[in-house]
Amino acid sequence: MIPETGHFALVLALAVALLQMVLPVWGARTNDAALMRVGPALAVAFAGFISLAFAALVAAYVQSDFSVLNVYQNSHSEMPLIYKITSAWGNHEGSMLLWVLVLGLFGAMVALFGSNLPQRLKANVLAVQASVAVAFLLFILLTSNPFLRLSPAPAEGQDLNPVLQDIGLAIHPPLLYLGYVGFSITFAFAVAALIDGRIDAAWARWVRPWALAAWAFLTVGIAMGSYWAYYELGWGGWWFWDPVENASLMPWFAGTALIHSAVVMEKRDALKVWTVLLAILAFSLSLLGTFLVRSGVLTSVHAFATDPARGVFILMILVAFIGGSLGLFALRAPMLRQGGIFAPVSREGALVLNNLLLTASAAAVFVGTLYPLALEAWNGAKITVGPPYFNFTVGLLMVPVVFVMPFGPLLAWKRGDIAGVAQRLMAAFGLAILAGLAVAYGQAGGPALAPIGIGLAAFVILGSVTDLAERAGLGRVPAATAWARLRGLPRAAYGTMLAHAGIGICLLGIVAETSWSSERIVGIKTGEGTTVGRYELTLERVEPRTGPNYRDVAAVFRIREGGVDRGTVTSSKRLFTARNMPTTESGIRTFGFGQLYVSMGDELAGGGIGIRAYWKPLVTLIWLGAVVMAFGGVLSLSDRRLRIGAPRPARARRNADAAPANPAPAE
Amino acid sequence: MTRKSRRLLLISCALGVLGIAAGLVLFALSDTIVFFRSPSEIAAQHVSPGTRLRLGGLVKDGTVEKADGTHVRFVVTDGGADVPVAYIGILPDLFREGQGVVAEGVLQADGSFRADSVLAKHDEKYMPKEVVEALKKQGKWQEGEGGAPAPALLPGRTSSAN
Amino acid sequence: MTLWIVFLALTAAAIFAVLWPLRIGAGGPAAVDGTDEHEADLAVYRDQLAEIERDRLSGLIAGSEAEAARAEVARRMLRAAESGGRAEPGSRASDRRRRIAAVVALVGVPVLAGGLYVMLGSPTLPGQPLAARLSDDPAKADIALLVRKVEAHLEANPNDGRGYEVVAPIYYRTGRLDDAVRAWQNAIRLSGSNAGRETGLGEALTARAAGVVTADAQAAFERAVKLEPEAVKANYYLGLAAVQDGRRDEAIARWSRMVAGAPADAPWLPTVKGALDKLAGGGATPAPAAKDANGAGPSTADVAAVAAMTPEQRSAMVRGMVERLAGRLAQDGSDLEGWLKLVRAWNVLGETDKAKAAAVDARRNFVGNDAALAQIDALSRELGLGS
Repeated sequence: MIPETGHFALVLALAVALLQMVLPVWGARTNDAALMRVGPALAVAFAGFISLAFAALVAAYVQSDFSVLNVYQNSHSEMPLIYKITSAWGNHEGSMLLWVLVLGLFGAMVALFGSNLPQRLKANVLAVQASVAVAFLLFILLTSNPFLRLSPAPAEGQDLNPVLQDIGLAIHPPLLYLGYVGFSITFAFAVAALIDGRIDAAWARWVRPWALAAWAFLTVGIAMGSYWAYYELGWGGWWFWDPVENASLMPWFAGTALIHSAVVMEKRDALKVWTVLLAILAFSLSLLGTFLVRSGVLTSVHAFATDPARGVFILMILVAFIGGSLGLFALRAPMLRQGGIFAPVSREGALVLNNLLLTASAAAVFVGTLYPLALEAWNGAKITVGPPYFNFTVGLLMVPVVFVMPFGPLLAWKRGDIAGVAQRLMAAFGLAILAGLAVAYGQAGGPALAPIGIGLAAFVILGSVTDLAERAGLGRVPAATAWARLRGLPRAAYGTMLAHAGIGICLLGIVAETSWSSERIVGIKTGEGTTVGRYELTLERVEPRTGPNYRDVAAVFRIREGGVDRGTVTSSKRLFTARNMPTTESGIRTFGFGQLYVSMGDELAGGGIGIRAYWKPLVTLIWLGAVVMAFGGVLSLSDRRLRIGAPRPARARRNADAAPANPAPAE
Repeated sequence: MTRKSRRLLLISCALGVLGIAAGLVLFALSDTIVFFRSPSEIAAQHVSPGTRLRLGGLVKDGTVEKADGTHVRFVVTDGGADVPVAYIGILPDLFREGQGVVAEGVLQADGSFRADSVLAKHDEKYMPKEVVEALKKQGKWQEGEGGAPAPALLPGRTSSAN
Repeated sequence: MTLWIVFLALTAAAIFAVLWPLRIGAGGPAAVDGTDEHEADLAVYRDQLAEIERDRLSGLIAGSEAEAARAEVARRMLRAAESGGRAEPGSRASDRRRRIAAVVALVGVPVLAGGLYVMLGSPTLPGQPLAARLSDDPAKADIALLVRKVEAHLEANPNDGRGYEVVAPIYYRTGRLDDAVRAWQNAIRLSGSNAGRETGLGEALTARAAGVVTADAQAAFERAVKLEPEAVKANYYLGLAAVQDGRRDEAIARWSRMVAGAPADAPWLPTVKGALDKLAGGGATPAPAAKDANGAGPSTADVAAVAAMTPEQRSAMVRGMVERLAGRLAQDGSDLEGWLKLVRAWNVLGETDKAKAAAVDARRNFVGNDAALAQIDALSRELGLGS
């Protein structure tokens, strides 16, 4: 009964989405308030039905109901409960359902909290959202239905892919989807505004919280995916320029550009066409990512399915939405009014530069990811565009972005004083140079780029602190006043500072990890040892163990640092019996911000085992930086002015003296 | 400056940046792409030594030698030709004799291949897509043999890849 | 029944979501439904003005800059007011549109959802949580589930030799030969050796070796004969082992003894006699027996008949059978049992590639039939063919 209820709820959700796609737009066209009001009600109902369907699927997984084909194919009765739950979305069908669930939840949030939106805009936004939902629900029901049944039910399932039996799966896809799908809202706003032909500064204000939320989720989602791959795949890398990673990185670049250009649009009524285009692009790239991952056109860990019918269906969705929205854009963009003007050296100018470089990076990743596919389709040649390409292009494009970053918030709108800003950044710049020199001196023969990278990272972090200090007037006004001002600064100011500092922190981690990691690959017997970085590893014992649905052989190492005992670290090789598939569980110990990483290889003929051991200094900063960035986004989001859903009765509006989200000397 | 000239300046700056980016992309593409070759293709096309390649095929039965746990030698075959491969590092979990493999590295003057990363198929069911196609060409592949060739690779690398 | 009530309730909820906002008298500026555009725009701009004022007061911007910025926002307000004046904010709902929307919801939702569901759903299949199935009446459960129950029981009581003894023959018959060997070994370890168990072990080992009576298997049969000199199967297999080792005389002696000591109505008697005759007459060394193609494990008779042939004859016969089956299935692929038999047969003959190919062909024949596909997959998995 549970699976069929879920199935019916899914079908009902499609019916509801169809109505939601049509009725509110009709209302907006005819200016009929009652019809427009149907939109929010249906959006909430839609979220309810999808949640019910998803809950039914999870329940089927928890109960090991193997009469559901999807459960049979991806679950095993002996898995721990947590993996039974996560395997509900650890497969193609379930993950698409999760995608639509997130879509529904976002739609319901617009319906419930978008009380400050104009009625017409809101009706159109919900209708556009519903059209996305309809496309994906059809895709699910017709090609990837998770509720197909089996009779008679098998006695045991085929187990979840062991690589996915990890807590990372519980966190990474939902966060990533919150990011991907979050951009569907900004997309819906863009298309709704294009339908209506009205795009102004107020529109940017309404869009920005959604863009910020999606961006923050996507940032954390990407970081979690990176960390998951780092510890689960067992060879110590944290970013592989895998097409699937690229698929999440492209919308991130576009989304980052979007949250910046939306500021310009809101403050200065400029860059309107560009911002709308970015809103469309961010979601288009999310769709492209979904296509790349779901259609199985790529060679990748994430390609759960290789069913051409699915690929073609998603391709059609892709073409319809990207083509449709860009067509509408081409039709309407020329009709938009010109916005405010500004000098090249100004806050706007800096943000335009940031936008250009970010979109260029997205384009570089796009080319590198799709070129092999295109070439193979063209003449059958099989090539790989590997890390060197991406490191080179994205790396070089990011350097100016990072370098200009501290200047942006300090520049005035309209016309900036570059000399004055440079002067204010002098201290930060000087300290950064010192940091670089110290590194160059200290590393004695390390990579030449390391000091530059560390200096750049220090400049960004110090620069964002400088921004705050300047705002508070630190050093120019009495300390008490500065303190009061600092406390009075809007949360969005802190948000900006944290997000920018997060980039610097992340950069620190990247530079340290790539420059100073040490690695040992050795064969080692019980009682023998090896050194990696400052640490001595001794293989204490190799012992067999048994897990719920796997057997494993664990190698336990004793860690010593200069003779001092620092505990043990365990790596193991697991054999998952249901699929007869081995995996390597790496052992990781964190010391400070660095990590000791041990990965076990094969047992050797002469006894002992092969191991790979790494010492990765400051490596955790890579992910911490991303978390700090996302936290900055959330902090901006919590700024009173942007807070979603705060109703604005007249009285509250008068008192609302919250400061700008990206506070600035005014326009 | 007039509104018009400002706009012009902005647009030319933008085009400049995009031009530089496009240049970067093209330069990097011409320099860093790696071709996939099967042993037969290497034999037939006389690929010059020193070329960076991805070599794919089956690990020939009985050819895997592990010297001291980290030095590995094996032969990659596609039925038409063989290429001996040397690799230092830990092999991926699913590396097995008779199974599909993709090695990335450099072709040596003596016709052997020095790999710096070895990818095996990711799951019992899957076979690297390129390997399947290379084997099909050699008639060594029956449709459905390894199930859907949903190719999912787990690289095993000697250097931290990033 | 409950299921249909749930469906009805859900459908009603969906329709309600449309009808509620359409109800008469629901007009007026309800906050949740969004503000009218003019007011929404102005709210944003008023906010911007307030924020400029705040920046000016806290000294973040100079008075002249604030003035310019205020002027810019004021221009936007003016523009918004102009355009806002154009559109009447949310005019009254027309009754006609309301009625059309209501009818669409009332008819469209049940028809669309019901229609799609009937196409896609399986309303007659109840949910089957594993826990409930395991505690179900055993009479209703299938073999696989019974095995699972015993396995679960053995997991909890790993020292129950009786459990292994129950499950071992089932493993053997369903082709899970490794498990069968392990189960017999456990049964012997826990419940002690007896002729039946040793014979079972020997048989499983032999089947696992594709019909070759291995040294281990032979040892098991010898233990069985030691415990029970008259053990029929064990004696037969020991004879077979002798044949395979080329010790024909020993085989003849053993089988002759069996025939001599047998009651006249023993069901196996013709088989052994036949084997004996063939051996005595043919003179060739029978090679490993193959399991017959239906996967039910070799019956004594089958093995005997096959074992008594020359290797060429035997091989030709088995292959002939299998190939005939393959031919028949190529003509008419609708026989699921036949396909399963074929996959097993190729596998037993060591033709893994052909077994895999047969599984693929079978799958092709049952596209859309999920139950059949699941059985094929289960078999492939069981035989270690991948899927």
